[in-house]
Amino acid sequence: MAKTILIVDDSASLRQVVSIALKGAGYETLEACDGQDGLNKLKGQKVHLIISDVNMPVMDGITFVTELKKLPEHRFTPVIMLTTEAGDSMKQRGQAAGAKAWVVKPFQPAQMLTAVTKLVMP
Amino acid sequence: MSTDDVLQTFVAEARELLLGMEDSLLALERDPRDGEAISATFRAIHTIKGSAGLFSLDQLVAFAHVAETLLDLVRDGRVAVDGDLIALLLECSDYLGFLINQIAGEEVADAATQEARRPTLLARLQACIASSVAPSASQAESPRQAPPSAVPAAGEVADPVHNDAWHISLRFGPEVLKNGMDPASFLRYLGTLGEIAHITTLWQQMPAPEAMDAENCYLGFELDFRSEASREAIDSTFDFVRDDCRITLLPPRSSIDDYLKLIAEAPEGLERLGEILVASGALSQAELERALERQRQAAPPALGEMLIQEDGIPAPVVQAALEKQAKGRENRSAATRFIRVDAEKLEDLINQVGELVIAGASATLLSQRSGDTALIEAMAQVGRHVEEIRDRALSLRMVEIGESFNRFPRVVRDVSRELGKDIELVITGAETELDKTVVEKIGDPLMHLVRNSMDHGIESIEERLARGKPAQGRLSLHAYHESGSIVIEVADDGGGLKRDKILAKAMDRGLVAPGQALTDRDVFNLIFEPGFSTAEQVTNLSGRGVGMDVVRRNISALRGSIDIESQEGVGTTMRIRLPLTLAIIDGFLIQVADSAFVLPLDLVQECMELPDGERLQSRGQSSHYLDLRGEALPCLRLRNLLNLEGESSQRENVVIVQYGNRRAGLVVDRLLGEFQTVIKPLGQIFRHLRGFSGSTILGTGEVALILDVPTLVHDASGREARLLGESNAGQAIGSEQPA
Repeated sequence: MAKTILIVDDSASLRQVVSIALKGAGYETLEACDGQDGLNKLKGQKVHLIISDVNMPVMDGITFVTELKKLPEHRFTPVIMLTTEAGDSMKQRGQAAGAKAWVVKPFQPAQMLTAVTKLVMP
Repeated sequence: MSTDDVLQTFVAEARELLLGMEDSLLALERDPRDGEAISATFRAIHTIKGSAGLFSLDQLVAFAHVAETLLDLVRDGRVAVDGDLIALLLECSDYLGFLINQIAGEEVADAATQEARRPTLLARLQACIASSVAPSASQAESPRQAPPSAVPAAGEVADPVHNDAWHISLRFGPEVLKNGMDPASFLRYLGTLGEIAHITTLWQQMPAPEAMDAENCYLGFELDFRSEASREAIDSTFDFVRDDCRITLLPPRSSIDDYLKLIAEAPEGLERLGEILVASGALSQAELERALERQRQAAPPALGEMLIQEDGIPAPVVQAALEKQAKGRENRSAATRFIRVDAEKLEDLINQVGELVIAGASATLLSQRSGDTALIEAMAQVGRHVEEIRDRALSLRMVEIGESFNRFPRVVRDVSRELGKDIELVITGAETELDKTVVEKIGDPLMHLVRNSMDHGIESIEERLARGKPAQGRLSLHAYHESGSIVIEVADDGGGLKRDKILAKAMDRGLVAPGQALTDRDVFNLIFEPGFSTAEQVTNLSGRGVGMDVVRRNISALRGSIDIESQEGVGTTMRIRLPLTLAIIDGFLIQVADSAFVLPLDLVQECMELPDGERLQSRGQSSHYLDLRGEALPCLRLRNLLNLEGESSQRENVVIVQYGNRRAGLVVDRLLGEFQTVIKPLGQIFRHLRGFSGSTILGTGEVALILDVPTLVHDASGREARLLGESNAGQAIGSEQPA
C-alpha cells in the first residue's frame, strides 16, 4: 500500500507542486493550509510523513509540531520542516520541537523527493 | 547601470570576500580541522574567480584558478593544512587584494614589487598542488564525526588498508525513534546510492528487558559500502539524524590509523569492534594486529589525546563555538537581504533631511508666532515625523565597528610573529554601531595604537615570565556606547607607561618646565605631543615618534578625544571617544547676551538656576567653582569667556555637562530648550578656534555656534591643575587669577 504524506503549507501552488512530485514517485498525499488544518486532517488518518512550512497563518509550523508530538498515534511520525535560508534559528526551534528533518526553500521537487526518500521509501 | 558601476560592485564584493577569507584562514590556523573555514576560503576564491571572469580580468582569473585548485585539494583533505599553507594563502590573499586595488584604479605604491611576487606565489601554489595525496585520505567534514588523524604532508596515504569499500560506522542515539526517524529507512536510502557489501548490527548497547525503554533506539551498524557516489552524497544521507547519532565515514583505502581511531572510540570495546571489522572484511587480521600493536606502543599519549578530543573539552567552550558558528551563518545569509547603495546617495539624503530639519524649525517658529493653536499642533506633528525621519536616515549610515576591527586579527598575528611575541587579541563590542564616515577614518589611528601596544606595551616573553605574567600577552579592543559617544578602548596587559621616563624625556625636549606639577593624566598625554618617543630602540613598526601626535590629530578631526590610563607593570588602556554621528544631533539651545549657542543634548546632565550669592561672587570672572550638592564643580562663565557684551539678564542659569568622567558647569543667560541641530562645518578661517565644533542654522535663519564641550570641560577641570602647577613653578602663564 502506498505511503501517505501530509503537506502543510499556506501556499496552494507549493502544495500542488510537491504533491505532484510525490505522487509521481508513488506516494499518496494529503494537503492542509495551516497547522490547525493539519491537525484536523490527521484525525483518524494514518500518515507516514509530514512536510510542514514554518510561517503559516492560524497555527505556525512550530506550534503544529509541538501539538503533533502530544498525539499518541502521530508522535512518531517524521516531520520535514520547510525553512528559508535565513532561518537558521527557525530550524533550531523546529528541531527542538521535534522536527529533525528540513528542506531549505526554495527547493526543486527533486530535492524534496530526496529528503522524503531518506525517511520513507515509497 | 554601466559596466563601470558593476565593476565597482565587484571590487567592493571582492574586498569583502578577501577579508572573509582572511578571517577563515586565521580560524583555520587556530583549528586546522575547521571544515567550515576551509569551505569558506574556497568559496571566497571561487566567487572572486567567477565574477572576475565576467569582466574578463584574465590575470586575476588565472591566479585565482591556481589558488582555487589548491583549496579544492585542501577541502578534500588531499593537502594538509599547516602553518606554511596558511601563510601562503594569506600572501595570495594580499596579492589578490593588490590586483583588486589595481582594478579599482587606485594608485599602488609598490606595484612592481607586488607584481614580482606573482611567479613565486604561483610556483609555491603549484608545489603544494603537486604534493597532494591520492583522493582518498579525506578529512572528516562534520564536527560530529570523529576527528581525523593527521593527514600526511606528501606522498601516499600512510599505511592504507587493502579494501576498496567505504566503511560507515553508525551508532543511533536513543532519541531517534521518538523523532520519527527509522534507522532502517536511512539504510534503505543508502542502498539507492550503492551496494551495501556487508552489514553488522550492533545490539550490545541494549539493556536487560526490564530496563529497556521500547521507545529508545539502542542500535548501531558497521557497514561496508561500495559506491561511486561522492562523500558529500553519502554523508548527506544522515543529515537528519546527525545531531542524535555518531557517524564515522571512512573512505576506501583509508589509512589504518583512521580505523584505529574508530576502534578506540567504539563503545563496544576495542577487541569486539576489531573482530567485527575483520569479519566484515573491512580489515584483514594482519591489519588489525598491526593496528593494535601500534595502539599499544603509542597508547599513553594517543589515548589521552583521543579522550581530550572526545570528552575533555568543557561543554561551555563547545557551546560558545557552536553559537558563534551559527551566528556567522546567520550573518552570511542575512547578507543576501542587503541592498548596495552608493554612499553618495545616502549623503544626499542626509543633507536633504538636514535642510528639512532647518526648514521645519523655521516653520514651527512661524506657527508659534501666529498663535494659531491648530497650526501649532499640526506643525508639532510634522516636527515629530521629521525627527523620526532624521533618526532613520542617520541610522542608514550606521555600521558596526566590527568592520574596522576585523582587519586586526591578521595584523596582530603578523606583527606578533615579527616581534617574536605571543599575543592574543580579544575583540568585544564589535556590534556597536557608529557613522560609516567615522568608521572609515578611525581605522588608521586604531591601527597605530594597536601596533604601538604590541611593540611597546606588551613585553617580550622572557620579560613577562620574569614578572610572573603569562607568556601570552593580551591585547583587547573594546567598543561601547556612552551618552552620545562611542568609546573604543585599546588595552594591553603589558608594562604600562613609565611616568618618570616620559617626564624626563618631556623636560629634555622642553615640553615641560622643571618643577611643574603634572597629574598622571597630563604626563601620559605628553606622548601625543609631536616629536615625542620614548622607545629605546627604533623598530620598523613604531618608535620613530611619528604617529601618536598624528593619532590625536586624526581623532580630533572627528570631534573625538583620546585618553590614557596606565599602571606600570599592569598595562595600558587607550580610550578613544567619538561622537556617534557627524551630521545631525539633538542639541540644547542656550543664550548668552544676544547670541545663541548649541550644546549636544547627550552631554547635558542637568540645568539649575545660579544662586544669587554665587552670582555676585563670580561676576566678572570667566571661571569659578560652584558648590553642587557638596561637589566642587568647575564653572565657566560663557559671557566672560567669550567676551560677549550685551545686557545681562536678571537671572543666570548653569548647564551641567559631562564628558567622559569629568563634569563642568556652563553659566549662561537663558535656556531655550531642545533643538534639532544640523551640524554645518565651520569655515576654514574659524577651524582653529578653540571651543567651537561647528555651526548650525536656527529657525529664524540666524547662525548659532555649537560649543565644543570636550574642550570646555577639559579647560575647566584642567584649570585647577594648571594653576597649581603655575604656583609651584613660580611663574604665571594665564591672565586669569585664581578664584
